[in-house]
Amino acid sequence: MPTPRRTFAAAAFLALVLPLSACGSGGDGGGSTDASGKVEGDITFQTWNLRANFKSYFEGVVDGFEKKYPGTHVKWIDQPAEGYADKISADAAGGTLPDVVNVSPDLVAPLAKAGLALDLDKAAAKYKSEYLPGAWASHQVPGLSGTYAFPWYLNTGPLFYNKSLFTEAGLDPAQPPKTYDELFTDALRMAKESGGKVATLANVPTIEDFGRYGVPLMNEEGTAFAFNDAKGVRLLTKYKELYDAGALDSQALTATPESSGKKFLTGAVAMNPGSALDLENFKKQAPSLYKNIGITDQITSTGHVNMYVMGVMVNSRTKHTPAAVAFAHYVTDAEHQMSFAKKVAIFPSTAGSLDDPYFTKEDGTDVTRVRVAAAKSLKTAVNYTPVLFSEQMKTALRNEVAKALQGKESPKEALDNAVKSCDQLLKQQG
Amino acid sequence: MRRQLPTSPWLFAAPGLLIAGAFVLYPFVSTLVNSFTDRRTLVPGGFVGLDNFRELLHDDMFWTGLRNSTLYILGVVPALVILPLLLALLVQKNIPGITFFRSAFYTPVVASIVVVGLIWVWLLDERGLVNSLLETVGIGRVGFLSDQWLLLLSAMAVTVWKGLGYYMIIYLAALANVPRELHEAAAVDGAGPVRRFLTVTVPAVRSTMVLVAALSSVAAFKVFSEVYLMAGPSGGPAGEDTTLVMLVQRTGTGLTGRVGYASALSVVVFAVTVALMLLVLRADRREET
Repeated sequence: MPTPRRTFAAAAFLALVLPLSACGSGGDGGGSTDASGKVEGDITFQTWNLRANFKSYFEGVVDGFEKKYPGTHVKWIDQPAEGYADKISADAAGGTLPDVVNVSPDLVAPLAKAGLALDLDKAAAKYKSEYLPGAWASHQVPGLSGTYAFPWYLNTGPLFYNKSLFTEAGLDPAQPPKTYDELFTDALRMAKESGGKVATLANVPTIEDFGRYGVPLMNEEGTAFAFNDAKGVRLLTKYKELYDAGALDSQALTATPESSGKKFLTGAVAMNPGSALDLENFKKQAPSLYKNIGITDQITSTGHVNMYVMGVMVNSRTKHTPAAVAFAHYVTDAEHQMSFAKKVAIFPSTAGSLDDPYFTKEDGTDVTRVRVAAAKSLKTAVNYTPVLFSEQMKTALRNEVAKALQGKESPKEALDNAVKSCDQLLKQQG
Repeated sequence: MRRQLPTSPWLFAAPGLLIAGAFVLYPFVSTLVNSFTDRRTLVPGGFVGLDNFRELLHDDMFWTGLRNSTLYILGVVPALVILPLLLALLVQKNIPGITFFRSAFYTPVVASIVVVGLIWVWLLDERGLVNSLLETVGIGRVGFLSDQWLLLLSAMAVTVWKGLGYYMIIYLAALANVPRELHEAAAVDGAGPVRRFLTVTVPAVRSTMVLVAALSSVAAFKVFSEVYLMAGPSGGPAGEDTTLVMLVQRTGTGLTGRVGYASALSVVVFAVTVALMLLVLRADRREET
């Protein structure tokens, strides 16, 4: 039967538009800041690249929670490391963010600003005392009041060095550099002795390096960046000297942590930051390097090493706030953080956990030595990456640093430009 | 009496229309609309008129991206128009074992670009195979992956290497339609292989060459993977190897992505791509008349 043209036009329009109505914001459905009700309902929990190695651990955690709270069901989702932030942003924009999400502070900041992260100072203040104060504060966002994720595991690591490369350069492998000045002196000597073939470092300075060097990264209000001060300029000037001498790897301007790690494995680079996890890697992939591995503390002018913090956020739009908050707390409580720490080289953020003999007693192996040293340094460690420092800002800083190292701009000009770009991006973030 | 339309053709077309609408038309219109807003990933934003377009005129990275994308066309398109044609002429003959070579030349086309990129990064690394060979013959190490221009040239070489087989197949189909008599007549007239190539083969496959030029120039202007894999996410030293599409990705993604600004960049990429197509097709028409 023939159909009028107008009917077709309307049908075609609806056909185009209706499926799209599923896109876009998920709306404001659900969501309550009150976590005091009955713990029940179906919730989703998203981790960050943990299924491959810790499937049984997380299945055990989920089972334990479901047994403790009958009437709950947790669906565990794991996302690959690559593109994790993009996956969260797509979910957040599409209204499909899981109820409980594994995040880092820089991921929490935009989610909190968009009202998608539950304020735990309001919804879960009773748990606050269970965590290290610094760790609890790590998911606070300048410009907002509140705390937007439970602190989960912490990580830090020593600096590894290749003892045989030190010996070949006439340096004492038993006396690795402890201060920035010693590092720069040793690096220049290493480059000179090897004819420019062995660099000491493989990465350009990042925001954490500026922090460790004692450069103030932001103003006190957290409203503008400040790493272009005299100290920052001095650090970059020194790195330029290293780059010109071949003490900083020639491919450092485009290096990633993976590529610089590979250079360390192949003996092209003498020092590289890492964690206790890397020791196993060295053993498997570079046995000859493993025999010559030296382990020293992170170099810092502040006395505080850098640490990375992981968190567990509760989606403010969850329909089961009590269950989501209870589960986020359950995953991050002292008991579960401790059992997770015994499976992998991470450190708990719960108060008192780092005093456990597991983190204080050495048994003579390198693995224990790294673990004990790291646990000790974590008590005063700082997460130097400002929570508002976005990927775009990291790129802006990296590009300006590269211009300075190539001699296209002076270190001062480069840092001024980087601060200007980062401030502009900060304003655009709102 | 009002004209009526038959129902059944529309019903057949509906699934296609739905898919095209949802995955082609909607994203396109959405990008166009977003380009006039200051929308961010998690913030809807508001109408800002032409602000994004004005801003990109003053954005150094935009001009860097435009320069690199344009250079990519200039470096890649002539090679992808000529080299696959020569390759097709070589493998066109039906001699024993030629299928192996046809397949071998086509292999890079089916290989994943990520795998291809990683292999070339290993080859061109400062301690990679190519540099070891260069060092052995006394040339010394070359900074293929650390020098701004060498990096771009290396990425172009990978694009050409990966595209050769694809365009070779297109040329093989075109060459199969060139009448053998024309070659025979030219040979009788005393034309050698080069002359026969220029006077018989090239005119016969001219429209295919235009097609290859159009396809490869659009692909070259939108290049992302090769440069991203070889130059790293920051776009090479100081971002100097960033292409326009890399800039769109960097600006518009992540939780703090500037969707509005990235959309404006995308609109520019779209406009230039359309202009390129029109330019190539117009040049072809002018040649024909």
